Amino acid sequence: MQIPNYSQKRKYLQVIEWVIFFLLIGLCDLYETSGSGLKPLILLPLSLCISSHTEELQAMAVGAVCGFQLDLACGKLPGFNAILLVLFCVTSSLLYHYLLKQKLVNMLILTSVFSLIQGGLDYIFYYAIWGHENVFLIWENVISRSCVMTIISAIPCYFIIHGVSEKCGGVHRTDTLEKTKISYPE
Amino acid sequence: MMNFLKSKKCKIMLWLLALLIGVMLYAVFMGGYTISAAGMLEAAVSPFRRASNAISERVEYGLDLFRNAENYYEENRALRQEINSLHTQLADYESAKEELNRLQAFIGIKEKHTDYSMTAPFDVTGYVTNDPYHAFMINGGSDNGISLYDPVVSDLGLVGVITELGTDTATVTTILSPELSVAACVSSSREKGILTGSVSLAMDGMCKLEYLEKETNLKKDRIILTTGENGFFPGGYVIGYVKDVALDDTGLTAYAAVEPASDLTHLSMVVVITDFSGKAERTNADS
Repeated sequence: MQIPNYSQKRKYLQVIEWVIFFLLIGLCDLYETSGSGLKPLILLPLSLCISSHTEELQAMAVGAVCGFQLDLACGKLPGFNAILLVLFCVTSSLLYHYLLKQKLVNMLILTSVFSLIQGGLDYIFYYAIWGHENVFLIWENVISRSCVMTIISAIPCYFIIHGVSEKCGGVHRTDTLEKTKISYPE
Repeated sequence: MMNFLKSKKCKIMLWLLALLIGVMLYAVFMGGYTISAAGMLEAAVSPFRRASNAISERVEYGLDLFRNAENYYEENRALRQEINSLHTQLADYESAKEELNRLQAFIGIKEKHTDYSMTAPFDVTGYVTNDPYHAFMINGGSDNGISLYDPVVSDLGLVGVITELGTDTATVTTILSPELSVAACVSSSREKGILTGSVSLAMDGMCKLEYLEKETNLKKDRIILTTGENGFFPGGYVIGYVKDVALDDTGLTAYAAVEPASDLTHLSMVVVITDFSGKAERTNADS
């Protein structure tokens, strides 16, 4: 009789966890579309942090949602960032599932690598390929600076998502363990 | 009784009465001016009077507060509500005034260029994130009569063209983008050139007027206008002001760095010119 109660509570907490995740995604999207100055692509580290706490399918969905929002905010071809973020989020989820521990350093390294890949592809396909004069200035003044800001923005993202996930008990590793535990009485 | 009338006390009293009557009569003849003795007396007692007045005022104030506290509370609440309402009215008034000023500027465009067919002013809903050329979105689309590649202007000058169009939203590529070329001329000398975006100048919020004669006498702060020759942009509209003139890399022609008349990083309202005299029929390939 105790197991369904526990399970119900867990489901309830998971719903709360996802509501908070989507609220955060919405807030970050608002931030991305406000003002005209240079800013971090905060949806990238946010989606990576969420993915590090979820299963691959959920990570895929988060990557797609955040990617499309990034496409709309950055005025890119719809799907350009979505494809990249789906790949990044699934990779992040898998890496955290099998290899990495929940540490800030790991998230910073992941964000750096993925941010540079995203920035590099953006630079190649949207600027360098067209052969405008002095196009490297865009890399120097816009993309590289945005990458640095994105990497820094991973720090608050990591702590917020990690905190929410711990409070709501949604870490997938413990999920797997609990599934095993629940299967015993059957 | 008789003893009193004969006593010294009675004499003193009479002298005193006489003195007082004398003082009174003197005061009558002074015609309203205070006599010096009374003035001295006044001066001597005034600090005490002030002190007693202050005390009585405090006491009265305390009693009044105690008696009318409820009335004051109600009155205060009503006044606060009135102040809030006045503040709201003031904010609305300021906002309406600001909008009126902006709209008046747009009416000015219509008065100056009677051949233009323009939309109502649209709000800039947001800038494209991290775009080096400051592309932005507006809250108008094809439902508002906008077409792809229509020119977008502010009350100060040319801003860009519509490059992405939805039913109720559109993206504007600014004149800082190298993807855009505008036939332009100098207002004073009518010297012609092609205005286009340049990556290096875009970093400083400027664009480039190319293909000027090598011996150009173009000077700083000269106004650059659209010529309207290719039919993509209406003629005679302000683009910006010359900031610098230099020779091109080839050394065969000169170019001018042009600062757009509108501050492209802080736009709040723009209008789209949907038709103008000399407008060319455009295809995607042309654009």
